[in-house]
Amino acid sequence: MANPKADLLQGTLDLLILKSLQLEPMHGFGIAGRIGQLSKDMLTVEQGSLYPALYRLEEQGWIKAEWGVSDNNRKAKFYSLTATGRKQLVAEEHSWAKLSTAINLVLGNA
Amino acid sequence: MKFLRKIKSFFRRGKLETEMAEEMRHHVELQTELNLKAGMKPDDARYAALRQFGNVARIQEQARDVRGWAWLEAFAKDLRYALRALRKSPGFTVTALLTLALGIGASTALFSVINSVLLRPLPFPNADRLTIIWETSAQQNVKREGPAGPNFYDWREQSHLFQDLAAVELGSGTVTGLGEPRQIPAMRVTTNLFSVLNVRPALGRLFVSEDGLGGRQARVIISRDFWQRAFGGDLEIVGKNVMIDQISYQVIGVLDRSFWLPFQSDLFVPWPDDELRYQRGRLSHDLGVFGRLKPDVTAAQAETELNAIHARLRLTHSELAGWGVTVAPFQSVMTEYIRPVLLVLFCAVTLVLLIACVNVANLLLVRAVGRGREVAVRLALGATRGRLIRQFLTESVVLGLVAGGLGTLLAFWGVALLSAVVPATIPIPDASAEAMLRPFEIDGSVLAFGFGVSLLTSLLFGLAPAIYALKSDVIHGLKNGSRATTGGGRWMRETLLVVEIALALVLLSGAGLMLKSFFRLQHAGLGFQASQLLTMEMELPTDSHYKTGPEQSAFFARVLEQVGSLPDVTSAAVTSVLPLHSQDERAQFLIENDSTLPPNEHFQSDLRQVSPEYFRTMGIAFKRGRQLDRHDSAGGAAPLVGLVDEAFVRRFFADANPIGRRLMLGEARLEIVGIVGDVKHSGADREARPTLYVSFQQIPASRMNLVLRTTAAPASLVASVKQAIWSIDRNQPIYRVESMEDVVAEATSAPRLTLSLLGLFAVVALGLAAIGIYGVMAYAVNQRTNELGIRVALGATSGDVVAMVLRQGMSIIGVGLAIGLAAIFMIGRLVEAMLYDTSPRDPIALGATVALLAIVAVAACFIPARRAAKVDPMVALRAE
Repeated sequence: MANPKADLLQGTLDLLILKSLQLEPMHGFGIAGRIGQLSKDMLTVEQGSLYPALYRLEEQGWIKAEWGVSDNNRKAKFYSLTATGRKQLVAEEHSWAKLSTAINLVLGNA
Repeated sequence: MKFLRKIKSFFRRGKLETEMAEEMRHHVELQTELNLKAGMKPDDARYAALRQFGNVARIQEQARDVRGWAWLEAFAKDLRYALRALRKSPGFTVTALLTLALGIGASTALFSVINSVLLRPLPFPNADRLTIIWETSAQQNVKREGPAGPNFYDWREQSHLFQDLAAVELGSGTVTGLGEPRQIPAMRVTTNLFSVLNVRPALGRLFVSEDGLGGRQARVIISRDFWQRAFGGDLEIVGKNVMIDQISYQVIGVLDRSFWLPFQSDLFVPWPDDELRYQRGRLSHDLGVFGRLKPDVTAAQAETELNAIHARLRLTHSELAGWGVTVAPFQSVMTEYIRPVLLVLFCAVTLVLLIACVNVANLLLVRAVGRGREVAVRLALGATRGRLIRQFLTESVVLGLVAGGLGTLLAFWGVALLSAVVPATIPIPDASAEAMLRPFEIDGSVLAFGFGVSLLTSLLFGLAPAIYALKSDVIHGLKNGSRATTGGGRWMRETLLVVEIALALVLLSGAGLMLKSFFRLQHAGLGFQASQLLTMEMELPTDSHYKTGPEQSAFFARVLEQVGSLPDVTSAAVTSVLPLHSQDERAQFLIENDSTLPPNEHFQSDLRQVSPEYFRTMGIAFKRGRQLDRHDSAGGAAPLVGLVDEAFVRRFFADANPIGRRLMLGEARLEIVGIVGDVKHSGADREARPTLYVSFQQIPASRMNLVLRTTAAPASLVASVKQAIWSIDRNQPIYRVESMEDVVAEATSAPRLTLSLLGLFAVVALGLAAIGIYGVMAYAVNQRTNELGIRVALGATSGDVVAMVLRQGMSIIGVGLAIGLAAIFMIGRLVEAMLYDTSPRDPIALGATVALLAIVAVAACFIPARRAAKVDPMVALRAE
C-alpha cells in the first residue's frame, strides 16, 4: 500500500487488460488483481475505469464475456481474448515498445 | 453489424443492467473476502471494499455509455443541434422546407396516380392473366373491333391456351318503379363472365350456365353501388324484382364492393347462349371479349393460336377474309392512352424535384461556407470529419423529413386536384370504346414512396455541404476569422447552378413544345362548329314501347318538332353517333357496277343515321349534290338515299363523281345524292374516316343524340329541352347532356392534361431557377464586396462593376443553357409521340423557351449586380 504509484497513462489500460487476459480467461476482479500483481503493485486499476474499459473492449470485439463459476463457487463473468483481440494485443505491444523507446531516447535514458 | 448489435443491446437493456449490477456485486464480495483475510472486521471489510470500488451508479453510467447508449445520445445531440441550427435561421429553413415540400408533394401526388392507374393490379385474382380480345383487319383499316357471337363461340371451344373466354355487350336499361325513370348502365354477359374474372358475390349467387338457356324468369345481378343507391342496401334484396325496360327482372345476386370493371355497369343480365351463337352474322361486330389465359401463357402465344383458329374459320366463312385476331393484356390496354402522359409528367415532376434539391443544396452550401469558422473550430477541438459530416447530414435529413411530412400533406391536396383535372374516362385507342380510370388513392406504397423520396433527396442535397466539410481546411478556416473562405465551394455552387439551369430548360422546352402542339391541335379543325351547340343522348326501350323502326323514328321526329320550336334554338337535329363520342357504327356495302372488289368481299365505312337538318345544325360543310330532306322517308315510294363525305369519295371512288351511283347494302340499294365535308369523328389528330349518312327515317335507330344550335348559352336551355321531351314521353331518360365544346374538351383531355400540368411544373421550375441564380449571385457579390470596393476606389465605374458581375453570371447561364439544349436534342424523341404536328426540335418553341429562361436568368443576376455597383468603397474597405 505504501508503494509509490504511477498514474495510468491514458489508453494504456486497454493494453494492460488485453495482456492480462493473454494466458487465461478471467473475471473483472481477477483482471484488476493480475495487473497489480504483474506490475508489482505499482499500477492499480480503478474499478471506475476497469468496467467501462471492459465493456468498450467487448463492444469492439476484442474480448468476449461468458458467465461461469469462480474459484469460490460463485457465478461470475469471465472475459477472454478473441482472435482479433490477440492481433490487437500484438499491435499494441508493438506500438507501445516504439513509444517507450522514443520517450526513453528523448529523456536520454536509452 | 456493429450497428445491429447496438440496436440489439438497446432492446436487451434490462438484462444487461442486471448482469452489470451482478458483476459489480461479485467484485465487491471478492474484495470483501480479501479484506477479511487481511484481518478486518466483517463490517469494516465490506465498507472498505465498497469505498474502494467507488460510486457504483457512476461506474454503471460510464459503462452504459460504452454499452450502446452513446450513439443514441450522440444522435440526440446531433438532432438537437440540427433543430437549433435550423431554428436560428428561419428564413433559410422556411425557404428550403417550402421548396422541398413542393417537389416532394408534387411527385408523391403524381406517383399516387401512377400507382392507382398503372401499377396496382386489377382487383381480380391473377389479374395479369386477363386479356381483351379483338378482331382486326388491315384491309378495312380497323385495328380493334369486338367479334360477333359465332366467332366468339368458335374461339372459346377451340382454344387450348385460354382457361375460358367471356363476352359482354355494353348498353343501358331504363329502370322504373324506383323514383324517377333512370337510364342505368348495364351489361349483357355470357354466364361465365364472373368465373372468368374470378369474383364472388356479396349477396345471393352469380350466374350459372343454366341461366344462359333463356326463356325463363329474367334474372339480374346488380352492383353493390346500385344496391346501396336504389335499394338502400336492402339485405333481403335477393329474390325481389326490378323493372328494367318495362320487364320484370328477379335480382339473384349483389356484387362485392371490390368488383371493378373499366366499363360502367350496374346491371348484369345473362345472355341466352343460343341467341348469341346462332342468330347473328359473323361480321356483326359488337362484343367485348375477356379471356383468362392459362398459367404461363403469354398474350402473344394466345394471339397466334386464335389467329390459327380464325384462319380455319376463313376457309368455311369467306366473309371473314382479311380479318385476324389481336389479344392484349387487360390492364395495360385500358391505360394505353394515359400511360405516356403520366410517364412524361412523372419525368417532369422528377425534374422539378431535382431542381428543388439543387436549390436547397446551394442554400446549404452557402450556409456551410458561412459556418466555415465553426467547422474549423470544431475540427481543431478534436471533432472528427466523420462526426461533422454526420452533423451536416443530420441537418439535411431533418430538413428532408419535415419537408416530406409537409409534402405528403400537399400530396393529399394534389391528389384531390388531380382527381378533378384527370378525366374519369379515357378512350381505348383504336377501339371506339372508353374505359374508366380507377380512383386515385394514397395507400401504403404511396406513403412509402414519399418517405423514400424525402430520405433520398436529403442525402442528395445534403451531400454538397458534407463534401465541403470534408474538404475544409482547419488552418485556413481559423486564419480567415469571421470572414468565410471566399473561394470555398464556389465551383460547387456554380456547377449546381449550371445543372439547375439545364434541368429547368429541359422542363420549360417540354412545356413549350406541348403548348405549340396543343395550339395546332385546337386549330386543326374538326369539320364542324363546336360553339353554341347543346347535345344529349336518348335510348329508347325497344323491348316494350318502341319495338319497331317506324315507332322509333316517329318519336325522334316529334322530339325535333317540339324542341325546334323552343325559343333560342335556331336548329335541331339528331344523329346516331356524335363526333368524338368514342362510339362507332359501320355499314358494309358493295358498289353497283364496280368490279374492283374480289368476290365475297365488302367495303366498310362508318354509318350515321341523321335528320336532314344535321349538317346545318353542326356546321358541317355541304359540298355538292342535294341535302337529305323530309321526302326521304320510310314510305315505300321514297328510294333509299344517302350522303357521303369527301374521305368516302377519295377512298371508294378515287375522286370520281359518285353522285347518282348506288351502293348495295345487303338486299337494299342506296343512291348517293350528295357530298359533305369530312368530320374528324375520332379526334383532331386522327384521319377522317369514310362516312355514309342516311336519314333516320329510312334506317331508324333506337339510340340517338340530339344536337341543338342555340343563340343563348347551351346550358341555359337544358331544363326547357328536357321538359319538351318529357311532354312526349315522361318515362324517357335523357343523359349525357353536354355542350359540344365540353365534348371537344373531353376528347383532347390527354394533351390538355399534359399541357396544364407540364406548364405548372415549368413555371415552378422557372421560379426555382430564378431564386437559385439570384441566391448564388447575391452571395458571390456579397463575398466580393471588399474586392469591388477596391476596384471602385481605383476608378472602376458602376457600369464596369455591373458588367463584371453580369459577365460572371452569364457565363454560368450560358453553359447551363447549352447543356440543357444538348439534352433536349438527345431526349426529344421521348415526347415526339405526344406532339401533334410539331417537331421535338421545333425552332420557334425551343427558341422562345431559351430566350425566356435567359431573360429571367439575366434579370435574376441583374439585381445583385446593381447592388454591387452601389458598393461604397469606404464602407467596403473599412469592413475589413
